[in-house]
Amino acid sequence: MHKPLLLNRRELLKLGTGLGVSSLIPLSAVSANTLQTQAHIVILGGGAAGMAMANRLATRLEGGTITLVEPRETHHYQPGWTLVASGVWQPDKTMRPNAQFVPRGVKWVREYAASIDADNKRISLANGATLNYDYLVVATGIQLNYHLIEGMSPTLVGQHGIGSVYASLDGAIRTNQAIQTWLDHGQGKGIFTAAPTPVKCAGAPMKMTFTTLSRLEASGRRDAFDVEYMAPGTSLFSQPWVNEFVKQRFDEQGVTRRHHYRLSAIDPQAKQAEFTFIGPESEFTSHHQLREAEFRRENQPTVIADYDFIHVVPPMSAHDFIKQSALIAQDGPFRGEWLDVDIYTMQHNRYPDVFGIGDVIGAPINKTAASVKAQAPVVEANLLAVMQGNPLPARHTGYTSCPMITGIGKAMLVEFGYEDNFAFMPSFSFIDPTDESWVTWVMKDRMLQPAYYAVLAGQA
Amino acid sequence: MTITGIVTILMFVLAPYIWFIIAGLVIIVALHFSAYLRGYQITRHHSVIALLLAGLVGLTAYVWIPWLTHSKLDYVATVFDWVALTGAAIAAFIVALIVLHPLSYLISDRRIH
Repeated sequence: MHKPLLLNRRELLKLGTGLGVSSLIPLSAVSANTLQTQAHIVILGGGAAGMAMANRLATRLEGGTITLVEPRETHHYQPGWTLVASGVWQPDKTMRPNAQFVPRGVKWVREYAASIDADNKRISLANGATLNYDYLVVATGIQLNYHLIEGMSPTLVGQHGIGSVYASLDGAIRTNQAIQTWLDHGQGKGIFTAAPTPVKCAGAPMKMTFTTLSRLEASGRRDAFDVEYMAPGTSLFSQPWVNEFVKQRFDEQGVTRRHHYRLSAIDPQAKQAEFTFIGPESEFTSHHQLREAEFRRENQPTVIADYDFIHVVPPMSAHDFIKQSALIAQDGPFRGEWLDVDIYTMQHNRYPDVFGIGDVIGAPINKTAASVKAQAPVVEANLLAVMQGNPLPARHTGYTSCPMITGIGKAMLVEFGYEDNFAFMPSFSFIDPTDESWVTWVMKDRMLQPAYYAVLAGQA
Repeated sequence: MTITGIVTILMFVLAPYIWFIIAGLVIIVALHFSAYLRGYQITRHHSVIALLLAGLVGLTAYVWIPWLTHSKLDYVATVFDWVALTGAAIAAFIVALIVLHPLSYLISDRRIH
């Protein structure tokens, strides 16, 4: 399926990186130290975060053992799934063999992790084997909890007018088909939902709405279609300026916004969705304290809505085996749901030999690959410091980025961090994060995927 | 973002197109070499047709470059958008001229003989 470009690509990248390094980096940076060690480092998860850490640590450690636990053979470029679901990209474009990214010298265990015994520094795998570690990097990503929506299953995506860009690559393909079927019908109601939990790519539900609006407008029959956006909280997006922008744009484009509703059940055969009104006092944004046990509340009013197309965003959390381990947050806003790390140092709050990176961590923002780009150097520096008994030298600013697609062909490059109420942190002074721009769309369409692979290779 | 970071990412951006770029360069070099063997000199040969066609490629780039990127000219909105698109259009004009100029010589040369 994939052209054997590996050798040439690597040669080119080595050349380019070498040129960049030799001409642009001070000598002190070139001579970045390697650490002699006999330690065993286990990296759980081979997504963007895990693979970036494997590559970074492989170049920094000498003599130690690095084990990457990742069962999948194929790496999915998930930021491309919104473009697949919007009919812009071919699905194949989002896949690469994982073997292309696993560095030499790293032991790749193709198995699912089943449990973590943090007190004894031991991991059990699904095949019954165990791994002992000296240091652990948890990069397991996110769990999609479709089961919390009664009647919903990811296998339904693509049928009965149901779409869900998060389900899988196949789900993204079938979401595109479901939208096209709705378009071909020439009329009807589409409902776009959001989850009452932190989600990976928090902009994706809005991107799906905007790209579908583009398709509806291009059909020439926009007035024949009703579009509703059902939000669990008052906000649609954590960054305040973007939040207000999206609300205003939805209003301008004829999207009916309803707040404080979460999707609680679905009847695919009847094409009906049940929404639970969770009350105006509820604000389920990134800071939520929602737990599964609290999720199914009784005595809350519900409404039933007919739809011709519905985009389902499942509630999300850390994987069950993380939730059942001692590594899970035990108090605070992320308790019971997300990995308990210091959001600035990325070190576990109670197990100093454990670090977390990527979607699994309990943090108010940050569930994107762009965050991994900023987190990986921090985890690398701080883990090496811990291995040497030194103070932690690096701090994560909370940097995250969302190329907010506001229509097929245009986007805004939204970059922000923890400080000053998620103030903008633009990488390029000449790109205004509040402007819709063709260049930003081109970056999303053509440049962010290579940048993503550079992060995986530990080179960006 | 650091300059090093930009360079690194640009190398990753170019990587999938490396054979396309090499093939393009080979075609251009072959064209120029072939024309040179027949007496072509870039400063002495004048071709209005080549210039017009290259200009057409450059002008129409304002439409087909956005189209190639799944967008449209309507969405070219900011100053930087226009600078970037104009730069790309000029590049398209130059590449077209580099190809068409020796080609026009070869075609006219062939017709004479």
